[in-house]
Amino acid sequence: MSASLEKGINALKEQVDSSVAAFFSSCVHCGMCADACLFYTETGGPERTPINKTEPLRRIWKSEYTLFGRIGKLFGLTKPVTDELLADWETLVYDSCTLCGRCSMVCPVGNDIAAMIRKTREGMAAAGHAPDGLIGATKRAVTIGSPMGVKFPALQAQIKHVENDTGMTIPVDVVGADYMLLLSSMEIMNFPEFIEAVAKIFDKAGVTWTISSEAFEATNSGIQIGVSDIAAELVQRIVDAAEKLKVKTVISPECGHAYMAIRWDGPNLVGKPFDFKVRHILEVLDEFRKDGRLKTTGKESQRLTYHDPCQISRRGGVIDEPRNLLNMIADDFVEMPDAGKMNWCCGAGGGVSSNERANEIRLKVFQRKKDQLDEIKPDAIVSACSNCRIHLEDGLEEYHMEIPLLSLTETLAEHLAD
Amino acid sequence: MTNKFDDKNKTLGDTLRSRGISRRSFLKFCAATASMMALPPAMIPKVAHALENAKRPSVIWLSFQECTGCTESLTRSHSATIENLIFDSISLDYHHTLQAASGHAAEAAREAAMEENHGNYILVVDGSIPMDNPGYSTIAGISNYDMLMDTAKGAAAIIAVGTCATYGGIPHAKPNPTGAVSVGDLIKDKPIINVPGCPPIPVVITGVVTHFLTFGTIPELDHIGRPKVFYGQSIHDRCYRRPFYDKGLFAETFDDEGAQKGWCLFKLGCKGPTTYNACATTKWNNGTSFPIEAGHPCIGCSEPDFWDGGGFYKALSMPTENITQTALYTAAGAAAVGVAAGALNRAKKNAATKAHPNTTIEDLEK
Repeated sequence: MSASLEKGINALKEQVDSSVAAFFSSCVHCGMCADACLFYTETGGPERTPINKTEPLRRIWKSEYTLFGRIGKLFGLTKPVTDELLADWETLVYDSCTLCGRCSMVCPVGNDIAAMIRKTREGMAAAGHAPDGLIGATKRAVTIGSPMGVKFPALQAQIKHVENDTGMTIPVDVVGADYMLLLSSMEIMNFPEFIEAVAKIFDKAGVTWTISSEAFEATNSGIQIGVSDIAAELVQRIVDAAEKLKVKTVISPECGHAYMAIRWDGPNLVGKPFDFKVRHILEVLDEFRKDGRLKTTGKESQRLTYHDPCQISRRGGVIDEPRNLLNMIADDFVEMPDAGKMNWCCGAGGGVSSNERANEIRLKVFQRKKDQLDEIKPDAIVSACSNCRIHLEDGLEEYHMEIPLLSLTETLAEHLAD
Repeated sequence: MTNKFDDKNKTLGDTLRSRGISRRSFLKFCAATASMMALPPAMIPKVAHALENAKRPSVIWLSFQECTGCTESLTRSHSATIENLIFDSISLDYHHTLQAASGHAAEAAREAAMEENHGNYILVVDGSIPMDNPGYSTIAGISNYDMLMDTAKGAAAIIAVGTCATYGGIPHAKPNPTGAVSVGDLIKDKPIINVPGCPPIPVVITGVVTHFLTFGTIPELDHIGRPKVFYGQSIHDRCYRRPFYDKGLFAETFDDEGAQKGWCLFKLGCKGPTTYNACATTKWNNGTSFPIEAGHPCIGCSEPDFWDGGGFYKALSMPTENITQTALYTAAGAAAVGVAAGALNRAKKNAATKAHPNTTIEDLEK
């Protein structure tokens, strides 16, 4: 109960580094980021122009770190950061941004606008201006171990189901395994088939793997709310578990932001390189394919398309892998317009789906995905992020479209050769 | 044949359709215009909508001390393109060169247009106004000054076309025998858009007209009244020969190796660095090329007093003093200031990091 404007301002000051300073001073106000953002294109609200979402951070940079800004501050000419400003910006910074990074791709001067919005969240959260839903999720992540409040016994129950269905043993806390699998609570609660699929594929591939009872949650609410201290704590739990189990590789599951958090932000958050590798499940499966450890039989005759989760394709660079894998099992694969690194975001990642206030806008901006789908009319959509999956199902229902969502890992498992 | 009244009430959309211009090519024009005016793509439909529904506004074109080059530029160089049709599709009620009427009938047309559209017509002026002896240039016995002041009264906006109308141009060059002045020198109470150049680029004027029809306002202007979208950057900054300038590779004469290799024409007097115009990007003759591409230095025709700049082939003045030492001192001083500012900023950031309390879930709410 100690968030304050003063803390928020201090956090913003701390976030201004040489890249932020360079970004702000090179912004040419061209507005190209607006047309790259679905929260702008589908609402037409100029306040949702991505660079505008960083206004609190920009004001701190200007008033604290530039000569003219400091002179202006003396005469009251430089605009200050106030509680009212942060309150006004809350819906822009959290509800209208999934940190998908499409804006960063189009910026003609190379500003990583998504990263700047992520930094702006540090100030918002410290000043007590994070959305209630996200605060709740973060508290659960720290105290219970998962943003959806999933405890290990719940996972154990799902594991038991899978074991009963398949007759296989799901390895838990096995020291010295090759791979340690992380899961998102979304998968544990809604898609336990994912665990089953991984078990089957890894069994056929002849590799050892395990789930840790101490750190199974992959998602990182600390990053989404914008509190690096908490984000680092959540990453540290995974690092501790991986070191304890002496695994070679930690696998990030079918979840976009989890991948970004553990693979790319992780080492920076804990301040040292990992002793293990971090790979996305699709990267691991594609390695299996290359090594001849993954063999499939039969093909899907229905028309399939692939929705690129923003953090996996655009921010993570895992673009060819899903296509290589789909190629093995799809007869009629069709790319949607803007597929690959410029694909449009689902509209609900980066904390938006944990924030009930954003429900209306996330369904409104789904129109962009609908337009893409209308153009190619697929029979089913394959993806590799459970959050995308849940939200796409939600959006399709809202717009009265009947297209099933498939997990790539699960679909591969269905075609596994004996 | 439609009568005059019907014709006036036709929208631009009607006119274009009756001339067989497809919607596709019309939208292409709108997209090109929007990008030329640096408007976001979302504005294209707005431009199209505004243009389609624009009632042909009345335009009165006055020509004073000029050579008709501006009219030539506008009517000819893009002949048979949609820009031209847009331009045809304003109601051009008075224009010496283009109108069929002559003598009293011509003046009557101007007076009728001024009366009918009082407060709403666009006044276009090319040529400068002689203030010495009105006899230097009169039309129908009316001095240029009187005609300008009289016609300007009821205008919604004035577009000064060409360097003569905008800054006095060649008539204004030393010793300025006619006492030539620009439109802006005489009229202070109306919005004036300066479209200089000798002559100006045709799409620039259609762009200005389009902007006026779309938004009902004049575009953002620079300190000498030029629309920033077209005159915001120097020829030099946008010149395809700029890399040679940066490398110090210059043509010394018009027939040396450097000239043949297309090196920078700075030493041959190019005024590109001090000239603001869109030549290097929009180019001339339907986007074919611009003077520097033809091997000739820019003469700076869209700048005030370009004729008195000391010779077209004289390099922009070199500094006369020993600049090396001054530059060294300046650089050293600037570096010291930079280092000090950097240290200050780092200290501030470090202080912020130090003041950072470990944030826990207890600290997320007020």
